[in-house]
Amino acid sequence: MKSRNKWITALITVMLSFIITSNFGITQVDAKKDDGELKVAMEANYQPYNWTQTTDKNGAVPIEGSRTYANGYDVKIAKIIGKQLHRKVVVVKTEWDGLLPALTSGKADLIIAGMSPTAERAKAINFTKPYRNSTFVVITKVNSKYANAKTLNDFKGAKLTAQQGTSHYALIKQLKGAKRQPAMRDFAAMRQSLISGTIDGYIAEDTESTSFKMVDPDIKAIPISKMAGFRISKEDSTTAIGIAKPNKDLLKQVNQVLATIPNSERTKLMTTAISQQPKTDETSKKGKQDPWLVSVWKQFGGMILSGIGMTLLLASVGTIAGFFIGLFVGIIRTIPTPTSRGKRWFSKFINWLLSVYIEVFRGTPMMVQAAVIYYGIAQFWHINIDRTLAALVIVSINTGAYLAEIIRGGIISTPEGQFEAASALGMTHNQRMWHIILPQAIKNCLPSITNEFIVNIKDTSVLSIISVSELFFVGTTIASQTFKFFPTYLTISAIYLILTFTITRIFNLIEKHLQGNKNYNLMANQVQVGTAQDMEAKK
Amino acid sequence: MTESNETILSLQHLQKTFGQHQVLRDISLNIKKGEIATIIGPSGGGKSTTLRCINLLEEPTAGEIHFHGENVLEQNYNRNIYRAKVGMVFQQFDLFENKNVLANCMVGQELVLKRSKDEARKIALANLEKVGMEQYINARPSQLSGGQQQRVAIARAISMDPEILLFDEPTSALDPEMVGEVLSVMKNLATTGLTMIIVTHEMAFAKEISDKMFFISDGVIAEQGNPDQLFNHPQNEKTAKFLSNFQNN
Repeated sequence: MKSRNKWITALITVMLSFIITSNFGITQVDAKKDDGELKVAMEANYQPYNWTQTTDKNGAVPIEGSRTYANGYDVKIAKIIGKQLHRKVVVVKTEWDGLLPALTSGKADLIIAGMSPTAERAKAINFTKPYRNSTFVVITKVNSKYANAKTLNDFKGAKLTAQQGTSHYALIKQLKGAKRQPAMRDFAAMRQSLISGTIDGYIAEDTESTSFKMVDPDIKAIPISKMAGFRISKEDSTTAIGIAKPNKDLLKQVNQVLATIPNSERTKLMTTAISQQPKTDETSKKGKQDPWLVSVWKQFGGMILSGIGMTLLLASVGTIAGFFIGLFVGIIRTIPTPTSRGKRWFSKFINWLLSVYIEVFRGTPMMVQAAVIYYGIAQFWHINIDRTLAALVIVSINTGAYLAEIIRGGIISTPEGQFEAASALGMTHNQRMWHIILPQAIKNCLPSITNEFIVNIKDTSVLSIISVSELFFVGTTIASQTFKFFPTYLTISAIYLILTFTITRIFNLIEKHLQGNKNYNLMANQVQVGTAQDMEAKK
Repeated sequence: MTESNETILSLQHLQKTFGQHQVLRDISLNIKKGEIATIIGPSGGGKSTTLRCINLLEEPTAGEIHFHGENVLEQNYNRNIYRAKVGMVFQQFDLFENKNVLANCMVGQELVLKRSKDEARKIALANLEKVGMEQYINARPSQLSGGQQQRVAIARAISMDPEILLFDEPTSALDPEMVGEVLSVMKNLATTGLTMIIVTHEMAFAKEISDKMFFISDGVIAEQGNPDQLFNHPQNEKTAKFLSNFQNN
């Protein structure tokens, strides 16, 4: 019976995920026409096209669901479009891989993210006319042995990479003899890899080299676009704005706006964007320098604090709500099988349903659950839930699945005698549970619940997939802007450690409290009667 | 000892099977109001199972249990009320680990008998005094010795004002020096007119206290009678052999 249950569960999981994935890009959300806001999806981590900053200076626009702002070439283009369409631009900060789902699920109206209109992407979404033509370079270190490459063949043996999911990555094939490394998530990671020497270079647009040079003069960009034999399709060498397929009117409108921006204006916008990029204090202020930590705190302190707040909120709400879900499921799963036939079938069905819930949520990564639920709900039911709310729900039901089994275990492992003694007094099942078994079971489960809390503090970092600005997400943003990867992540881990350490201590105190005082004082009792009968009984 | 002729509990052809193993083959017995009955016999013979069936901790495979003439195994019979009237004291005490001594004696009264907190407290204190544990009302079960725990367990059971009190080898898990304190509490109880059914290996105690004794072996009642009949004139060979083990000590 047990193994069959597992089979069915597995089957349902596979079917569920199949249905959801196969419908991506087919079902479409109707564009919300006049909500006043123009939601633009971008990474806000790809200078000079787009980046995150903590103030609204230089005309930055707010990022949805946070107190930070986005700016860059893409934002400047978006603002021109917004102005002409009389809609206020709001940036939806999304990881690169989440851009297309954000658009098709209706979380955003436009993708303006330095994205090339490749044929493959054009199957899922529509693209406007290009808003920028790009040339490609290999970015390497000045002292690299590939720094003087003149032809495509000069990169023989070079370890090269490019951003995951971009057309740049395919271009490496044209550099004969180059060793293609696994693609990387973002530019921050590639810059760090180049500096640390794990790669010899990466392919990017010329703008990337310009902005990189501003923080690290020791890099060199080798243009490859004009090298003999370099082939690139027109789609791949341009960037365009993505719009959901049914949104034909908006496509027309945006194209009209783009036509009004001449090439000279575009170049000017890009130059301005590059000059406005966030710089670390070391490059901007000459002479007196703050220690690194202090300068980061001055610049990003608010962001870090709100990141800590978000992480704690997710972990504590998730654990508490998950505890109640787990308690509920655990109790239901330990109700004895009823005697009447109809009720027995009903209880079997409920149990089966609950075990499906547990297996599905324990058996799939929380990151995948987050993506499926956040984008899936928008896609199928056209409900645009707030990302923080979505994150809270996901952590709660995920924790619930784990705690359900832990609490069931706690109930089962309560000594049989406790059940029997309660039954012998005539207590009903519910009375036994609430007054006798659960208080003991929960006390015994407390170490596991603490553990789940600690795990939640750390694991909520995977929710960066739906761009919840928790601590890790904040860390990534800071690292990609200061290019101080090691110190940033070291600081972030120290913060995580302080959080988990403190929480462990707090729970240890609670456990100790529940354990009760080992000593008891006879004299402190309310009734003091030492009768003769008492003495006799003791004889 | 006061005895009336009213039969309060009657087991009729009780059978109990665990898987392939038939533990109770045919158990029939009658208990009158106020009677002190002891069940003796070799280990694995079905003594405890008989007791657990009376309290419905085990569901009998066949047979009937009549309480005041009503079959408690009927579908519509209110088992929780019945259980509240038939108390039980366990070999391992089984005090509620999450509650202190006083709360252990109050929880059943409040939840099952719906007594008020004050009333439950008064009754619990009176009964704890009877077993000599009134000084320990704030103690946790884990802070008490085995003998003390068992005395609290008895107080917990009698706080429910049961009509019958079942004892399942109440002294078997105790260190020898603690057996006496529990037995003396039980002897005191026996004088109050409470109906008691006791499974025990304490033969001297059984001989002294019993109105009626049952010798259960291989899932049947091999012999029954008053202590004098069983100890001095056993009719069954098994009874004689079993009791001789104890008398030689």
